[in-house]
Amino acid sequence: MANSQAIATSFKVELFNGIHALGTTVTRGGTTADTFKAALYVATGSIGAGTTAYSATNEVAGTNYTAGGVTFSWVAPTSSGTTAYSTPSASLAWTTVTLSTSFDCVLLYNSTQSNKAVASYTFGATTVTAGNFTLTMPTNDSTNGLLRLA
Amino acid sequence: MLIQTIHGLTPLEELEVHDQVEWFDNARKTTTTWTRSGELVRQDVHVHILRGLAADAAQGGM
Repeated sequence: MANSQAIATSFKVELFNGIHALGTTVTRGGTTADTFKAALYVATGSIGAGTTAYSATNEVAGTNYTAGGVTFSWVAPTSSGTTAYSTPSASLAWTTVTLSTSFDCVLLYNSTQSNKAVASYTFGATTVTAGNFTLTMPTNDSTNGLLRLA
Repeated sequence: MLIQTIHGLTPLEELEVHDQVEWFDNARKTTTTWTRSGELVRQDVHVHILRGLAADAAQGGM
């Protein structure tokens, strides 16, 4: 098996059902955005479009890596032309970690909504030794934003 | 100047550093490898995602 990058198919359905709140313009009971997290997966994993939720199976493990990954926030969703988009508001970072087993994938998921998957991104086989792993985000616009609905 | 390695804080002058840049369809990855006398003592990785993913909405007809 191998990891692949994709917006979770389940996420697209859940958008129609109003499951995910990336921003605070919400019409549920409150106006608090959901909590989203990013977890890393080993290169032998099978994360992709068919992933429906976070799982600890094939997640990386190592010094200073906390299972479940790191928490992040989204830039308030907006649109340009006919494309809606959003991007994490800051880089995703794991500091002073040692991840010896090759990993190549990050899964973004909604920990407020039963850890439902959002999207996965791949970046080639990687190991980190007593160092930092940083994922810098793209420009948040309708062409490059991390998550776009055209 | 000291830097964290597998041996704890290590003087920078004792280390050799090498940067490797790899390009992917939507990302650039920089791997910084620190060695001391040939031993890998630290490796940092920085991935810059250049472009995210798009879900293209399709509208059917009636």
